Amino acid sequence: MRLGVYWALFVASFKMFVRNRGALFFSLVVPLVIMLIFGVLNFGGATQVALGVVDEADDQASQALVSALDSTDAFELTTGGTRDDELEQLADGERDMVLVIPAGFTMPLSDDPAAQLVAYTSEAQVQQGQIGGLLLNAVVAQVMLSAGDPGAPAGPVVQTEQLPGRDLGYIDFLVPGMVALTIMQLGIFSVAFGFVQLKRTGALRRLFATPTNPTYFLGAQVTSRLIIGEAQVLILLGVGLWFGLQLVGSVALLLAVAALGSVVFLAMGFGVAGWAKNEDQAAPVANLISLPMTFLSGVFFPREAMPDVLQRITDFLPLTYLADALRKITNEGAGVADISQDLLGLMVWAVIAFLIALRLFKWE
Amino acid sequence: MAQPSPSPAAPGSPRRGTAEDGPVLIARDLRKKYGTLQAVDGVSFEVASGEVFGILGPNGAGKTTTLEMIEGMRTIDSGSATVAGVDVAKDPRGVKARIGIQLQASSFFDELSLVELLELFGHLYGVKADAMALLAEVQLTEKAKSQVRTLSGGQKQRFSIAAALVNDPTILFLDEPTTGLDPQARRHLWGVVRELAERGHTIVLTTHYMEEAEELCHRVAIMDGGKIIALDTPDALVDALLGRGFHKERVERLANLEDVFIDLTGHDLREAE
Repeated sequence: MRLGVYWALFVASFKMFVRNRGALFFSLVVPLVIMLIFGVLNFGGATQVALGVVDEADDQASQALVSALDSTDAFELTTGGTRDDELEQLADGERDMVLVIPAGFTMPLSDDPAAQLVAYTSEAQVQQGQIGGLLLNAVVAQVMLSAGDPGAPAGPVVQTEQLPGRDLGYIDFLVPGMVALTIMQLGIFSVAFGFVQLKRTGALRRLFATPTNPTYFLGAQVTSRLIIGEAQVLILLGVGLWFGLQLVGSVALLLAVAALGSVVFLAMGFGVAGWAKNEDQAAPVANLISLPMTFLSGVFFPREAMPDVLQRITDFLPLTYLADALRKITNEGAGVADISQDLLGLMVWAVIAFLIALRLFKWE
Repeated sequence: MAQPSPSPAAPGSPRRGTAEDGPVLIARDLRKKYGTLQAVDGVSFEVASGEVFGILGPNGAGKTTTLEMIEGMRTIDSGSATVAGVDVAKDPRGVKARIGIQLQASSFFDELSLVELLELFGHLYGVKADAMALLAEVQLTEKAKSQVRTLSGGQKQRFSIAAALVNDPTILFLDEPTTGLDPQARRHLWGVVRELAERGHTIVLTTHYMEEAEELCHRVAIMDGGKIIALDTPDALVDALLGRGFHKERVERLANLEDVFIDLTGHDLREAE
C-alpha cells in the first residue's frame, strides 16, 4: 500500500472534479435550480384528505363503512394500521386525519360511549381536518341511511379530537428526494462521462505507462467522489433548511446513508464507464438507468400516486430505498432500526452493482 | 531482405551518443497477433546505450505494437524483450519504472496544471519530481501554471516528453513525436530531442518523416507487414540503395520547398495555433 501515491491521485481527482465546470454545473447547480423551482411552486397543497382508518371492530358493519370511505374520491385511504401507528403518522404529518372504528361499533349506532366513532385531527392541519370532518360525517350518515337506519342523525355522528402534530410541507418531501437524486446523478453521470473521457483521450493509457497499479486511481476516483457527494448532501440540506425544511433526524446518519447510496451508484457508474468505449456509448446507458428512477422512485412526488403494481415494482429500486431512508431520517427522525429494510436493499444493490461493474470493466 | 544488425551505430556517424556500454534494449523475435492479423511478425533488434534509434514504416507496419510490447503496455505473444536488464514479460512494472514513454497522441488530465501533473507523475514513479527543471528541459517554464488544454500541439508534445523524463529513464520511447506539427514546431522538437541525446539519453522513436530520421537517428529500422525489412545507419541504407544502381529521375536541388518555407517564415515558433 503506497499511501503517497493514493493521496496524490486523490488530490488530483478532487481538483479535476472541482475545476470541471460541466461536472460542477450538473452535480450542484442543476439540483439547486430544481429545488428552487419546486420549492417556489410548492406542490404541497394536497387536494385529497389523507385518512387513516383503524378498524378495531372488523365486522360486516365496519367493513361497509370502510368501503364507503374508500369509494369517496376526496379521501386518500390507508387501512390496516393500529391506533398507535396511525396516531404517530398523524403527528408526523403523514395523515391529515385518523378515524378509529371501536370494537363495539354497531350499525345502527349504539349509545354506548365505548362504541362511538372517533376521528383525530392534527392541529398542524386544521383546514384538512375541518374538510375531513365534514366529509366523514356525510359519508357515515350516507352509510346509515343505506343500512336502513331510520333515525338519521340530527348532528355530527363522529366525535372529533384535535392532537398536536407537525405540518410537513412539500419541501420536507422534496429535499430528501433531491439529496438522493443528486447522489445518483453524481455516481452514475460524473463517473460514466468523466472516466470514459479519460479512456477515450488516452489519459488513462498514460497512467498504464507508469509502474503504479491503476487500481490506485480507481480508489482515488471513488473516494474523491464520496467526499464530494457528502459535501453536496450538506449543501442541499443547508439550502433546504433555508426554505423551511424541518430536519428532525441525525445529520450523521443522513451522511452515512448517503455514503452507502453513493457506493451503489458509483459502482453503477464505473460499470457503465468500464463497459463504454466513448461518451456516445455511455450516455444512453447512463440515462436508461437513471431516468426511470428519477421519476419512479418518489423523488418529486409520493409513489402512492402511482398504480399499485408500479408501486410494488418500484419498491425495489435502489433510488427508492435511498430516498425513503433519507426521508424517514429527515422527517421522522428515524434511526438505523427504522430504516433497516432500506439499508438492506441498498446493500444488496451495492453487491449486485459491484459484481456487474467487475464483470464489465475494461481499462481500454 | 537485410538482416537486422545487432551491432551499435556505425563509427563515424556525425551525431554519436555518449556511452557505449552494450545494448540497453534487446528485442528477440517479438510476435503479436490480433485475431487473424499478425501485427508483429518476428522482430529482433538491439539498441546501444546513448543511441538514437528510429523505427520507420507505413501505417499498420507494426511500429507502435512493437514499442508497446517492449514498454510493457501490451502482452507479448512470443519472443522476448529485455530493457535495462529487466525482462518485460516477467516484470512489466520494473521495465515501466526504468523507461520514459511518450504515447502517440498523449493526453493528460485536462484540469491540472503542468506543474501539478509532473508532480503527480513523480508520485506515480515513486520519485520526487523537479517540475520546473523538467519544464526547462523542454522550454515550457512560462507555461508552468497553465492547464494542458491551453497548450498548442507542439507544446503538448514537448510537455509529454517532460512527463516521460520524470523518472530519469534509461531509455526514452517517443511514438511519432512530431506528427501533426508545423515545420517550425517540428524543428524545435528536433532540437529538444538532439539535446537530450547529447546529454546521453538513449532514445527510441517512431516516425513517418524520413528527414526526421536522417536528422536525429544513428540507426533506423524500416518495418513493413510486421517485420523489420532493413536496419542500418541512414547513410549506409542510402549507399546500399545507390549500390543497387538506383538513381533519381530528377536530381535533388541544393534546397527544397521546406527550406524555402523555413527561409520565408523563419524558425520562430508559432504557439498560437
